[in-house]
Amino acid sequence: LPRGMSSSAMKKKVLLMGKSGSGKTSMRSIIFANYIARDTRRLGATIDVEHSHVRFLGNLVLNLWDCGGQDTFMENYFTSQRDNIFRNVEVLIYVFDVESRELEKDMHYYQSCLEAILQNSPDAKVFCLVHKMDLVQEDQRDLIFKEREEDLKRLSRPLACTCFRTSIWDETLYKAWSSIVYQLIPNVQQLETNLRNFAQIIEADEVLLFERATFLVISHYQCKEQRDAHRFEKISNIIKQFKLSCSKLAASFQSMEVRNSNFAAFIDVFTSNTYVMVIMSDPSIPSAATLINIRNARKHFEKLERVDGPKHSLHMRMR
Amino acid sequence: MEDDCRPLLGPDPTGESPSHRGSAGSLDIRTKRPFYVEPRNIVSDDPQERISAEAAILNSRVHYYSRLTGSSDTMLSPPNHVIPTAEEMYVYSPLGTAFKVPDSEQAAKNPSIVTIFAIWNTMMGTSILSIPWGIKQAGFTLGIIILIFTGLLMLYCCYIVIKSPKAIRGVDTSSWEFPDVCRFYFGKLGQWSSLVFSMVSLVGAMVVYWVLMSNFLYNTGQFIYNHAHNVSTSDSEYGTNGSDRVICPYPKTHPGRNDSMTSLCGSSSANDSSGSSFDHYWSKTSTIPLYLIILLLPLLCFRSASFFARFTFFGTISVIYLIVLVTIKASHLGFHLEFHWFGPSQFYVPEFRLFFPQLTGVLTLAFFIHNCIITLMKSNKNQENNVRDLSLAYLLVGGTYMYVGVLIFAAFPSPPLSKDCIEPNFLDNFPSSDVMVFVARVFLLFQMITVYPLLGYLVRVQIMGQLFGNHYPGFIHILVLNILIVGAGVLMSMFYPNIGSIIRFSGAICGLALVFLLPALVHMFSQREQGRLTWQSAFFHSFLIVLGVANLMAQFFM
Repeated sequence: LPRGMSSSAMKKKVLLMGKSGSGKTSMRSIIFANYIARDTRRLGATIDVEHSHVRFLGNLVLNLWDCGGQDTFMENYFTSQRDNIFRNVEVLIYVFDVESRELEKDMHYYQSCLEAILQNSPDAKVFCLVHKMDLVQEDQRDLIFKEREEDLKRLSRPLACTCFRTSIWDETLYKAWSSIVYQLIPNVQQLETNLRNFAQIIEADEVLLFERATFLVISHYQCKEQRDAHRFEKISNIIKQFKLSCSKLAASFQSMEVRNSNFAAFIDVFTSNTYVMVIMSDPSIPSAATLINIRNARKHFEKLERVDGPKHSLHMRMR
Repeated sequence: MEDDCRPLLGPDPTGESPSHRGSAGSLDIRTKRPFYVEPRNIVSDDPQERISAEAAILNSRVHYYSRLTGSSDTMLSPPNHVIPTAEEMYVYSPLGTAFKVPDSEQAAKNPSIVTIFAIWNTMMGTSILSIPWGIKQAGFTLGIIILIFTGLLMLYCCYIVIKSPKAIRGVDTSSWEFPDVCRFYFGKLGQWSSLVFSMVSLVGAMVVYWVLMSNFLYNTGQFIYNHAHNVSTSDSEYGTNGSDRVICPYPKTHPGRNDSMTSLCGSSSANDSSGSSFDHYWSKTSTIPLYLIILLLPLLCFRSASFFARFTFFGTISVIYLIVLVTIKASHLGFHLEFHWFGPSQFYVPEFRLFFPQLTGVLTLAFFIHNCIITLMKSNKNQENNVRDLSLAYLLVGGTYMYVGVLIFAAFPSPPLSKDCIEPNFLDNFPSSDVMVFVARVFLLFQMITVYPLLGYLVRVQIMGQLFGNHYPGFIHILVLNILIVGAGVLMSMFYPNIGSIIRFSGAICGLALVFLLPALVHMFSQREQGRLTWQSAFFHSFLIVLGVANLMAQFFM
C-alpha cells in the first residue's frame, strides 16, 4: 500500500496519465528536468507512485501513471488501487498520442479515469494534451486537433477539460504547461498587477515570474517590445541545465546575477513557489539596490500568496 | 570483385526502438546533434539575425534535451523532420565566415560514368579467367552466341530486380535490398532463400579464391625458386617452343574428352618430375593450401573488414593488366582459327558442342550482381538513367569477357597444341617462368588475399546476423565458421582444384534463385497486384524460371 496517501491532507496530486508510450516520461523529464535512465523505457509500464519527489507549485506532488498498458498486472493493480490513486487529485493531465491507432480504446480509458475523478476528486481540473503533433503534417495539424478537441470536450461532460496540442519539438509543450500552471494559480491576475507595479517601481526592463520546479513562466511584465519570442523557453532550458549541473555537485541553485556593460539580470528565489527574474538595462543602478528591492517585494508577494491561496501551502517554506 | 558489394554493416537486427521512427541503431549521427552552435553575441544589438528564430530555439531545446539522457540514447534525439532542411544550414567558422552544409544526400550521388564503372568493377571477378575455357567447352561460334544471349538475359533479370522495390506501394523501400523485397512478397521463406543462395555464391567464390590463391602462390614460388637456382623447366611440360611458350598441363589423348576426369587423374602429374625437396614442400595441391591457412585464417577472424575495403582498387588494376597481357600475347602468338562445325578434329573443337551448359553456368556467375545492384544504383545521380547505365555496364562487362575469351581462344597455338588444352584458369596455360604472367599472378594473388577477408566478413555478417542476431556473437562462433569455410577451400584445393566446375556449379545454383526464380516471381506477383499480368508476361517469366532450372540440371549431366 503506498504510504502517505491518507496522512497529509495537504499533499494534493497532479496526475500525469496516458497510454504507455504516449510520451509522458519524456514530457516529465523535459518539464521537470529529470534525468531519464536508459532502461526506464524498456520496462514498459511506469510505476511511479509516491516515489516521485517532484514538487510542483509548492505542495503538489506529481504522479505518473500508465493507463491501459498491456501488462495485466498493471491493469489489476490499477483497478484495485483506483480509489487511492484518484483521491486528493488537484489536477489531471491526460496525454493522448496523436498517432495512436486505437482511438476507441484510448477514449475508453480516458472515460474510466474521468469516472474515477468524478467519484473521488470532483473538483479536480482536467487538461488533455494531444501529444506528438510534430508527426502530423503541418497543414493538417489544426484540423486534427480541432477534431480531437471536440471529441474530448464532449466525452468529458460534466467535467470541463482544457485541451492543448503539444510536441516536444516546438514551443507548444512549454506553452501548454505554462498555461496549465497559470490556471492553477488562483490569484494570478492580482499577481500580475503587483508584478507590473513592482517592475515600474524598480525601473526594470522586464520582470518574469517562474514556477520554482519547472521554470515555467507564470507571469511577466515588459516595458517595451522584445525581439525574441522564445526567450522564456530558452531561459527555462538554460536554468534547468544549470540546475542539472549543480545537482551533480550536490549543490542546489538559489540565485544568479549576470551583468555586463549593457544590462544586468538577476534571478532569485521569490516566494515559496516562484522565482523571479529582473532585467535592468540601466547598468548604473548598483546590484545591491535591486537586490534590496527584490527582497522587500518578496515579503509583499508572500503575503499575497498566503492570503488568497487556501489550496496551496499554508506553511511558509523558509529557505 | 563480384561479391564484395554489400555494405559492410548490415541493418541492425535488434533495432526495435519504441519510437519506431526508423532509427538505424544507436550509433547513428542523430546522437551527434546539435546541428549548429548559436553565435553568442549578447553585447551588440545586432539587428541582422543570422539564424532564424525557430532554429535558435530548436538548438536550445536540443542542447537541453541532450543533458537529460545518456549520450548514446536516441530517445530525445531530434527526428529528421524537425531539423531544418539542408538549405537553411550553415557552418560558421570562429573567424566569422560561413558556408553552407553540403547536402549529405547529394554528396553521395555519383554521375553515370562512376556508377557504370562501379558496376563493372564489382562484376569483374575471377570468372574472367574461365571464359576462354567456357568458350572452348561450348564451341567458338556457339560460345560467342551464348555469351551475348546470356548477357542480355541476365541484364533483363537485373532490370526487374532494380524495378522491384519501386513497385511496392505504401511502404518506404528506400533502404531495401533484394532480400527485403523477397521478404515482402514471400515472407520468411523468401528472405531466407534469397540469403541462403547469396551465401552459396559467396562461399563458392571463397572456395575458388582458395584454389586460385594456391595456384598463384605455387607459381610465384616456383618462378622465384627457378630464377634463384637458374633451373630451366622447359622440358618438363608439354607445350610450344619459343619465347612465348604456351603449355598444356594435362595433355589429353582424345579431344573433346570431359576435362574434369582428366584433372582427377592428372592432378599430380604436372608438378614434380625431378622429385627435389623443394617440389616436395612446395606442391600446388598438397602443401600450399595448408600454408595459406596460416596466413588467411587470422585475417578472417578480424572483427571489422573496413581495412580490406581500401584495397579494392587492386581488382581494377588486375583486370586492366590482364587485358593488356591478353592483347600482347595474342599479338605475339597470332590467330589460329579453323572452323570445324560439328565434327571433332585433332587440334580444334567443333563450333557447336554439347558441353555448352558449362559456359552458361560460368556466365551466370560472371554476370552476377543481382544481390547488390539496388544498392549500387541508389547512388546514381540521375535515377532516370538507371536502365541505360545498367545496360552500358553490362555491355562493358560483356565486351571485356568477350575480348579476353575470344583473344585467348583464337591465339591459342593450335597446330602443336589442341584447343582442348585451354585450362579453366587460362593463366595455367603459361609456364611459371613467364615474366608477364608472373606479374599477373602476383597482382591477382595480392588482390585475392585482400578480398578474401572481405568475402568472409560478408558471409559472417549474414550468417551470424540471421542465426544469432549479432554480428560478432563470440570468438568461438566466428572461429568455427571460418574453419568450415577455410576447410572447404583447402579440401577443394587438394582434391578437386577445377575452378571451372566450382564456378559453374555455384553460378547455376545461386543463379537459379537470385537471377531467374525470385526476380521472375517477384515481377509476376507485382504485376498481378497492379492488374497488369498478361499471358505473354506470365509465359515469358515462367520460361525464365524454366531456363534457370535447366541451367542447374544441365550442370549435373556434363
